[in-house]
Amino acid sequence: MQDYFKNIIEGVKSLVIGMRASLRHFNNRKELVATLQYPHEKWPIPERNIGFKEEDYNLIRSRLHVDIEDCIGCLQCERACPVDCIKIESIKPPKGSDHDCGITSNDTQKKMIIARFNIDMAECCYCNLCAYPCPEECIYMVGGPNSNKHEMDYEFAKYERDGLMFEFANASDEDILAAGGEKYLEKKKARVDELDNALELVAMAAEKAQQDIDKGVEKSPEAKSDTPEFPKYNFGSLNDIEDKPTRGLAKRAFARGHRLEKDSQTVAEMIKVDLEKAGKYSSDFDGIIKLVGEAPLIIIPEGVEDTKEVVPTKNETVEEMKTETKPNVDAIPDIKLLNDITDKMVRGIAKKAFMSAKRQKLEPQGYVEAIKTALNEADKSIDDISEILKNLVPKNTNDNLEKDETKTEKSITLVVPDIKILNDISDKMARGVAKKAFMSAKREKLDANGYLDKIVEALKEADLSSEENLEIIKKLAN
Amino acid sequence: MTSVNNLFEFIKGIVPIEDTAIIWVIAVAIPALIVFLVMAVNALIAVYFERKVSAFMQDRLGPMEVGIFGFKGGRKFWGGIGQTLADAIKLLTKEDIIPADADRKVMIFAPFFIFLAPFLTFIALPLYENVVISNFNIGILYILAVSSVGVIGVILAGWASNNKWSVYGAMRAAAQMISYEIPIALSLMLAIIVVGSLQINDIVQWQADNRWFILHSPFAFMAFFIYFVSVVAETNRTPFDIPEAESELVAGWMTEFSGFRWALFFLSEYANMLIVSVVATMVFLGGWLSPVELINIPGFDLPNSVLSILTNSVTGPMWVVLKVVFLIFVMMWFRWTFPRLRVDQLMYLCWKVFIPFALANVVFVSIWELIF
Repeated sequence: MQDYFKNIIEGVKSLVIGMRASLRHFNNRKELVATLQYPHEKWPIPERNIGFKEEDYNLIRSRLHVDIEDCIGCLQCERACPVDCIKIESIKPPKGSDHDCGITSNDTQKKMIIARFNIDMAECCYCNLCAYPCPEECIYMVGGPNSNKHEMDYEFAKYERDGLMFEFANASDEDILAAGGEKYLEKKKARVDELDNALELVAMAAEKAQQDIDKGVEKSPEAKSDTPEFPKYNFGSLNDIEDKPTRGLAKRAFARGHRLEKDSQTVAEMIKVDLEKAGKYSSDFDGIIKLVGEAPLIIIPEGVEDTKEVVPTKNETVEEMKTETKPNVDAIPDIKLLNDITDKMVRGIAKKAFMSAKRQKLEPQGYVEAIKTALNEADKSIDDISEILKNLVPKNTNDNLEKDETKTEKSITLVVPDIKILNDISDKMARGVAKKAFMSAKREKLDANGYLDKIVEALKEADLSSEENLEIIKKLAN
Repeated sequence: MTSVNNLFEFIKGIVPIEDTAIIWVIAVAIPALIVFLVMAVNALIAVYFERKVSAFMQDRLGPMEVGIFGFKGGRKFWGGIGQTLADAIKLLTKEDIIPADADRKVMIFAPFFIFLAPFLTFIALPLYENVVISNFNIGILYILAVSSVGVIGVILAGWASNNKWSVYGAMRAAAQMISYEIPIALSLMLAIIVVGSLQINDIVQWQADNRWFILHSPFAFMAFFIYFVSVVAETNRTPFDIPEAESELVAGWMTEFSGFRWALFFLSEYANMLIVSVVATMVFLGGWLSPVELINIPGFDLPNSVLSILTNSVTGPMWVVLKVVFLIFVMMWFRWTFPRLRVDQLMYLCWKVFIPFALANVVFVSIWELIF
């Protein structure tokens, strides 16, 4: 009896202690709440203490950032990028225009404006190779040693992959126009239009597909591709078995029979045996199992031909658009031809004139005229390069095509021997020499006999030719 | 049935309809709608309250993100006030699943049965003197009787689900609810012995004339304690939540219910909390009396003008609400402090502790009344 009351008193006491504890937490919630409301609040980045300061790090692989005011548009970073995630488009103001492109923080006069500077962080491989060549040190990984330039950004995750495209260029349309970038703006607009058209087409195709489904005439190709064309088991009559475990057993036996490549009759036998083993067999199933024996085991999916029927409007409009938007590339002469000019000054002037002609979308003859006038203005003689300029016009419009054709023909007629045959050469030194000769012959685009001669010659020179090797090399010719 | 009669007469006076049957339906439907709204709003607020209280007691923040009409509530502590509304909408739009092997009719019927108990109990609960749907002269008895109806619904729900956890939960719930009704009734009996009436108005009037019933005698104080712990058990809340012990029985008799019918369980649970708190307030804590009238000191009477400010038709309901909120807070406080009892401990507490003490209370209070 004493214990009874003692227990009750103790119980009440402990309850009070417990309630006091939870009330303490309730009252002191301001200090005690441990929750961090993550997107709104963030923990500070913890202080690292591994012997040196954060600023002393070589590199922290975080997010790429560009101080666009400092960018001179030298494209070094774009070239350095191993995954091509940097896209830069710059516009150089035409000569004589007094457009001021600004001065970088290193007091370098900028010579062009940056119309587009996009970094796709979804593609970036965080190698930091773009940061090293930058002459103005304006592209860098944020945080770490660069934290004085830009604070650490360790979380730039986005819901859409598009969100990872960081656009740094801040040149407005007016700036671009002032710097003579009408062409760029036109191109940009064409690109946007193209995208809009494409989206419209997608919507149209979806609508058409929907209509087809509504009509019930034909399944759209998209809908069909959803269901893979696997053979289906023809359970058919087995589904009539009412008891679930029995049905399962029967189906399992069916599948096993099919895997063992038995015919329908044996499979039916197997089902019967299995059911008997499990003690589930009764004469009710006789009819069902008999049916299995008569039907084919698998249902072969219906023909795939129908899927080829594509929405007709889609194809047509796509082709139309392509022809519309394709720039007239054939008419543009090749600037590389100008590289043959030996005089550096002349070459520079010619190239500049070439580019300005390109901007004005001139005819090929117009290019030549532009270069000639430019050279005349600069008091350079055009006699030396008249041959080259002549090449510029007809070669591009007519000969180029022919060239291409002959090239392809050659590649078809040339039977390139198999280099693997050379692996049979047992002597390592000889094999190396032979392979080297083989590759040089390949570069010179010789025929099979040419290969042979070349290799034999090389081996003779190296004093490595033996009867065995020669025999192996002869195989090349066949 | 005075209030409904009054409403009937009132509507008859303003609506030019000859058919008295229609007016009767209206006179009954309006209070029913009010009760339903009270239950729904109570559940919305209480769930939010509970989530916040539990969060703070566990050093968390609770819901913080969902707001109403762009208003998120406090940035730091009282945010997320739209959370329960969003949850309610989610609950009502959920699929209503009935298991294939369940007893379909009973399963559809059971939640409404459980809902019926608190719904009917609200009829006798006053907010202020005569602010009540129906002023029974057997108020306390009616409340005790009708609130026990819920047990049948629980058993039906558990049985209909055709699920072992549900049946276990229902059995435990039935055992628990029937057991704990005895100490509750015995505790409330003290007030009836002293006041000599079952009507809640009379009980509060006695407290206005004398003192709050919790201070009537040490036995009444103990009776309040027994009553309050017992109603926590009656409403199946932690630490007495063995019928729905989530770690043992999934959710007890609620396991197989979803969507709207599960929402009814939820409504009922929080309505039950409200009901037992209102009853405790009316019987033990002076009802709509202000805390100033806790004790009437002989020879020192407050002037009537002050009393009428402290307790009138505006402040009276306010006192009731404040007391009820406090009691509900204590119930939540229990829930987030104590570990769940074992089944045997639960029965021990009821049959071996509360009922003997409650019986002794009855005896001693009767003697007390004879002496003083």
